[in-house]
Amino acid sequence: MSEMSDILFEEARRRLSQVRNIVAVTAGKGGVGKSFVSTSLALALAERGKKVGLLDLDVHGSSVPIMLGLKEEVRAGKEGFRPVRKHNVEIMSIGLLTKDSPVLIKGKDKMDLITSLVALTSWGNLDYLVIDLPPGTGDEVLWVIRVIRNLRSAGALVVTMPSMLSRSVVRKSLRLLVDEGIRILGLVENMSYFKCGKEEIRPFGYGSGEDLAKEFKTRLLVRLPIEPRVEKAMDEGYPPYLASNELKTTFSSLAAAVESLLQKA
Amino acid sequence: MHEWSLAEAVINSLIRLAEDRGATAFEEVEITHGEIMELDTLVFRTAFRELSKGTLVEGTRLVLKEEKAKFKCNNCGAEWDFETVEKILSEEFSVIEEPSGTKESALHFLPNLAPALLKCPSCKSRDFDLASGKGLRISKVVMRT
Ligand SMILES: Nc1ncnc2c1ncn2[C@@H]1O[C@H](COP(=O)(O)OP(=O)(O)OP(=O)(O)O)[C@@H](O)[C@H]1O
Ligand SMILES: [Mg+2]
Repeated sequence: MSEMSDILFEEARRRLSQVRNIVAVTAGKGGVGKSFVSTSLALALAERGKKVGLLDLDVHGSSVPIMLGLKEEVRAGKEGFRPVRKHNVEIMSIGLLTKDSPVLIKGKDKMDLITSLVALTSWGNLDYLVIDLPPGTGDEVLWVIRVIRNLRSAGALVVTMPSMLSRSVVRKSLRLLVDEGIRILGLVENMSYFKCGKEEIRPFGYGSGEDLAKEFKTRLLVRLPIEPRVEKAMDEGYPPYLASNELKTTFSSLAAAVESLLQKA
Repeated sequence: MHEWSLAEAVINSLIRLAEDRGATAFEEVEITHGEIMELDTLVFRTAFRELSKGTLVEGTRLVLKEEKAKFKCNNCGAEWDFETVEKILSEEFSVIEEPSGTKESALHFLPNLAPALLKCPSCKSRDFDLASGKGLRISKVVMRT
């Protein structure tokens, strides 16, 4: 008979199919800025007047609540969990429930956890749902692939860094997405350079973003600078993408690019 | 209050099942629910009745069966039950119910979170298994064609 995983998986899929557009932010590589990019993209889309949700599916290393300084408790009503609202974005994350506890959870249990979380979260009426994923191509990524594969308006945004290592690991992610029939919206090259006066210094070298875009016939949507004020912004409790004007403008154009790409479904 | 969401999921699942099998209605449906979910059966029945109105699930006889939870530690081998869990569960991990404002453990909503919210009562390891009592399943259906 139908197991919970099937019953709730279908419910999770049904709930996500009601969202107009879904953007999964992935990379393969750890620490390249997926959480920074997904959080900032969500905020930038909201800034453009869209109804936006942000779903943090990093079960072991949930970062969104920390990045946005969320202290709120999760509430639940008849329709399920009510996401926490901050900066006009509806946010749901396992981290809001597990707080500082290590999350020792494996295999099928992890899949089931994500399934239940999504099946029980009520997003209301959303234009965009941005999903933050952990590094690697594990259960969380597979879960998202299964759900968005058949959705009309969904795709992946792939974050990379201009290093050889990043190029090789991110390439595997891209290959997986292509093989599984997931639409690649484009690439974001994070920590590309930092400004020293008028000069652009590139500590991690060149390439990766452009090379991978060419190889996978997609586009490098934006390059983001290393911005030391990002850390300070998080410390002081304002959104990290407002750390500099340059970041703010770049994320705004990323949001615009994502919007127009998804409109051309 | 996850009863309403769960009832909705079960009803949708039953509708799909009926469509797949060419059934027009259900005489009886049996749902087995894990103890950890702490399903309020009264609320679940109400939700099931309300949400199934106008669907082919309406009027189905609903049988609810609770499945006991069993925990087993992979480190020291200790076994324990849900009563023990309720004693060691921290208030820190709760969800606030609306509109009542009461706190309910996140574990009831997401039983798979057990290893993040609990430790073995004997050796304090998080490396334990939850063999039963965490899920929800449709354990039996009698269909009408
Ligand atoms: N462009 C940037 N300028 C300055 N700091 C940045 C930038 N991008 C990311 N960071 C910082 O680098 C760290 C890693 O970023 P983030 O957590 O977003 O990476 P991630 O890919 O999500 O990591 P994980 O693989 O652990 O999920 C964070 O502290 C973040 O604030
Ligand atoms: Mg991250």
